Amino acid sequence: MISMRGVEKHYVSDSPALTEVNVEIEQGEFVFLVGHSGSGKSTFIKLLLREIMPTSGQIIVAGQDLIKLKNWKVPYLRRNIGCVFQDFKLLPNKTSYENVAFALEVIGRSRHVIRTQVPEVLRLVGLEDKMESYPDELSGGEQQRVSIARAFVNRPPLLLADEPTGNLDPATSLGIMSLLNRINKTGTTVLVATHDREMVDSMRKRVIALENGKVIRDQNRGVYGYGD
Amino acid sequence: MATNVGYFVRESVTNFQRNWVMSLGAVITIYLSLLLVGISIATGIIVSDIVQSVEDKVTIQIFLKDGAAEEDVQALQAFIDSDPQVDTINYTSKDEALEQFREQMKESPEILEQIEENPLPASLDVTLLDPREVQTTVDKIKASELFLAVADRPDDPEASLKYGQQVVEKLFAFTRVVRIVEIVFISMLAVVSLIFINNTIRLAIYARRKEVGIMRLVGASNWFIRTPFLMEGVIQALIGALLAILSIVGLQALILPQLQETLPFLAVSISSTALVQLSLILVGAGIIIGLAGSGFALRRYLKV
Repeated sequence: MISMRGVEKHYVSDSPALTEVNVEIEQGEFVFLVGHSGSGKSTFIKLLLREIMPTSGQIIVAGQDLIKLKNWKVPYLRRNIGCVFQDFKLLPNKTSYENVAFALEVIGRSRHVIRTQVPEVLRLVGLEDKMESYPDELSGGEQQRVSIARAFVNRPPLLLADEPTGNLDPATSLGIMSLLNRINKTGTTVLVATHDREMVDSMRKRVIALENGKVIRDQNRGVYGYGD
Repeated sequence: MATNVGYFVRESVTNFQRNWVMSLGAVITIYLSLLLVGISIATGIIVSDIVQSVEDKVTIQIFLKDGAAEEDVQALQAFIDSDPQVDTINYTSKDEALEQFREQMKESPEILEQIEENPLPASLDVTLLDPREVQTTVDKIKASELFLAVADRPDDPEASLKYGQQVVEKLFAFTRVVRIVEIVFISMLAVVSLIFINNTIRLAIYARRKEVGIMRLVGASNWFIRTPFLMEGVIQALIGALLAILSIVGLQALILPQLQETLPFLAVSISSTALVQLSLILVGAGIIIGLAGSGFALRRYLKV
């Protein structure tokens, strides 16, 4: 699903944000990407979304070679990648239903598809009775669920989550993680960038650890594992 | 696709409502620019009609000296007639000239009373097939010995020949200057309109940056993101164009009859076909300005 070979990214020439990254992630895996702030997690995610291009190396996501991918084809790549962020990125003037529907609307799905898929995915994330609520009427956890629903409504083969629990309390975080786990069980590859130690340690999934732009550890059923 | 069109229209209208002050500014600048473009085109049409009607009246008058020998006059007449450009030649005698003069001046009898003997020369009046070629024929006549033999003032051949070309030429020179001034002015206005549309679309992009970000994230195609903004620019331009067309139609209905009244001898009018063409030009120019202005803003401020 994801293949990175010899990937380097320099924003300014002297200090690399990522260097010598070689990572293979198979379809259906659940992977944590851990590291301190500034270790290169966000750069990693941005490279996968092709928001930025690597300075050198090869990246293949969902069968697409991102180096060779034409600019106008990038939107079609992103339809295969669901995205969840720390700040939810919901539109405040739209209800939960409309926020999720918007994602389908703008990629040209028919009204019929929208009317059947949106309630279904909102039920999956447990918000069937909050469909008409606006983001400011929802708790942080609920907002993140809407955002996950939006990322997943198109049934992408890959789901990227950048600090999805960064703004949430531990109990709520647990709920979000188990939701991501459930999505993973449907066959979707899930990559979660986080520095939530307890979460990583309790879930015992594959962990890729970054430090100063280098992969320092890649282990199955791993733990957060920094000394501090 | 049907849902898409609905979506685009909805988005553009919402944006228009959201930044209506800026949109209004853009609409007004486009309106004024296109109004001036339209007025100048309409004026151009009227002026060229007038020039045409003046041209049609172009005749060469050759004044003959008193007591010119009849065979000399006939020889000149035959010489002129041999020119393929010449349509007709008429001889006007001194008496006929006076008669015509009396006819023109009957409003002011005091001038007529002053006339004791006939001061007017006889003349040959030449009309041409193509009035624009008048200069060639005039040169040919001037160079001819036959002409000098009978001319009213052989010492000054210029004064013995009168033709409307001087008038037409002056008219042309005048309209040429007017046209250059107009083009400069209109280009400046077009630039101002472009800047205004550019600014409005920039604001629209800024107001919707969150939505645009999400659209990019979930994989909306670039054209899907751009189209509402482009349409907004075009809608603004079209409204401006419509207002300009209405104003021009109104102006011509208001001003032309009065102009016709003060200048009854000139054909001051615009045909309805010309008006339709004018409208199409304005709408076309509006769409181009709208697309260019918003396209420029999209390139600079919306990296998709």
